[in-house]
Amino acid sequence: MMKELFTHLKTFKLKKIKSFLILLVVLISSSSCVAVKNYNKVFLNDPDMALKSPLAERFETTFHIYREAAAGANGGKTGGGCGCN
Amino acid sequence: MDVIKKTLCIVFVSLGFISFAQQDSTQVYKKKVLETLEIDLLLGYYEQEGTHASVTGGIGNEDLQNTAPSVVVRIPLNEDDVLTADVGMSAYTSASSSNGNPFNTAASSGSGMAQSGNGDGSGGGNGPKGTPWVASSGASRKDVLTSINVSYVHATDDRNRYWSSNVGASFEYDYQSFGFGGGFTQLWNEKNTELSLKAQVYLDQWKPIIPTEIHEFDLFGENFLTNNQSYFSGVSILDENGNSVASYLPSNYSPIDDVNRNTYAVSLEFSQVLSKRAQFSLFMDLVKQQGWLANPLQRVYFADQANFYIGNVRSIVNYEDPSNTDVFHLADDIERLPRNRFKYPFGMRLNYYVNEYLVLRSYVRRYTDDWGVNSNTVQLELPIKFNLNWKLTPSYRYYDQTAADYFAPYDQHLSSQAFYTSDYDLSAFSSHQIGGALVYTDVLSKYSLWKLSLKNISIRFQNYRRSDGLSAFSIATGFSFVLD
Repeated sequence: MMKELFTHLKTFKLKKIKSFLILLVVLISSSSCVAVKNYNKVFLNDPDMALKSPLAERFETTFHIYREAAAGANGGKTGGGCGCN
Repeated sequence: MDVIKKTLCIVFVSLGFISFAQQDSTQVYKKKVLETLEIDLLLGYYEQEGTHASVTGGIGNEDLQNTAPSVVVRIPLNEDDVLTADVGMSAYTSASSSNGNPFNTAASSGSGMAQSGNGDGSGGGNGPKGTPWVASSGASRKDVLTSINVSYVHATDDRNRYWSSNVGASFEYDYQSFGFGGGFTQLWNEKNTELSLKAQVYLDQWKPIIPTEIHEFDLFGENFLTNNQSYFSGVSILDENGNSVASYLPSNYSPIDDVNRNTYAVSLEFSQVLSKRAQFSLFMDLVKQQGWLANPLQRVYFADQANFYIGNVRSIVNYEDPSNTDVFHLADDIERLPRNRFKYPFGMRLNYYVNEYLVLRSYVRRYTDDWGVNSNTVQLELPIKFNLNWKLTPSYRYYDQTAADYFAPYDQHLSSQAFYTSDYDLSAFSSHQIGGALVYTDVLSKYSLWKLSLKNISIRFQNYRRSDGLSAFSIATGFSFVLD
């Protein structure tokens, strides 16, 4: 399994993955530049500011997985189920 | 003077004790990860219309209705641990999948594949008839999926680390899926920065249902048209000119040798607070799928092979028109796709708090896989708060994708190809989705049910249009309760 995964990584020359990882390292290393104190997070703690989809959006995510070829990268389901209706 | 000194001494010593006591109480007191039991009751309804049914090779009626109730219960086990149970059902009726067996009558005393169907018995004798344009009453027209997923989250005392694990299963008539996974989340920089790593495995299995004509070939071999036990025994099979022939043979077909479909996914998520009003997150998944990735019920027709039909000879010329109600094109094979697929989607969310009335939520995604599909997704939501109770969230979503390397429309594949599909979900298209959500939040918990107080009620509605003509509508309601 891991061997195949690495083969795919080589085959695809995953520049995007490398770019993502580089970006991630840069972001993590620079993250200490921004430090909003907990008592200043009133706006950030608003439920609409959550960095995830509302629970009721799951039905839309499901039909998107069924009706579109793309899936994932949204904090939701990445596999499982046949999606065949 | 002595009195002042003594008083100051007592004050400083007292302050010292107070501060010690405060430190101690800070160490003892821990805010619960989840204060009380929460229950979400959800109900989703979805319907679609289209003319590219994959079960009938890329043409035909795609009407589908789906109703999906589910219950999500979050239980605080103690200050640090939360157990979540998610149980759901999804019941559908589908014109496309009904036409796994499209024929209107049991043709012979054969294998009992055909039970009943869609035809009205008009035009073209008393033999079986079918059409990709009308739903059949065959067994595969409906199914119910039941699913359960249980997850457990543990937080460390400082709430800077979270461990999670989950296990789940879903069952359909022709498919079952078992999944399990785990994850780790680390927060730092005064909880302004967050990094999550998750791994998930799904071990799925087909219980294949294949189209009637392929099923009989699979069961009786090359003599399936003449075998007394076959559904097609005594049935007139027509060529493109309407002549009765006995040369139909789906010779490309070979049995499904592996009914497993496994998915291995690794997800990385990075979140960062940008200011008092803005935060964003980056998502990346690496997904590997292997096994039988095609759908055994989906037909494929080859351009380089003769066409064979059952039904009304006069309707053959109108086969691709919805006015055809009584002739059916027999399949050359079922859909075949590679045994492996590697997907790597990359997404980003950015939320901005404009003011107390308005929040801007945005999401973009770039998706690539090794089947040749590249796609882009952009989604915008604007939650507008009218007051403490009512909120309206209009939303728009754009999506596009390129076609998979193995896709071709109806009757355009070649029999020499190794892989082929006429499933329009793998074709090139773009889509627009417009909708919204209306949420009522019961701030003062005025309404309750038994010992549960209403937290909020939401209703979501979405209108979806795909450039290949498929249109869909979905509506979902949610009721959130907390235990008093």
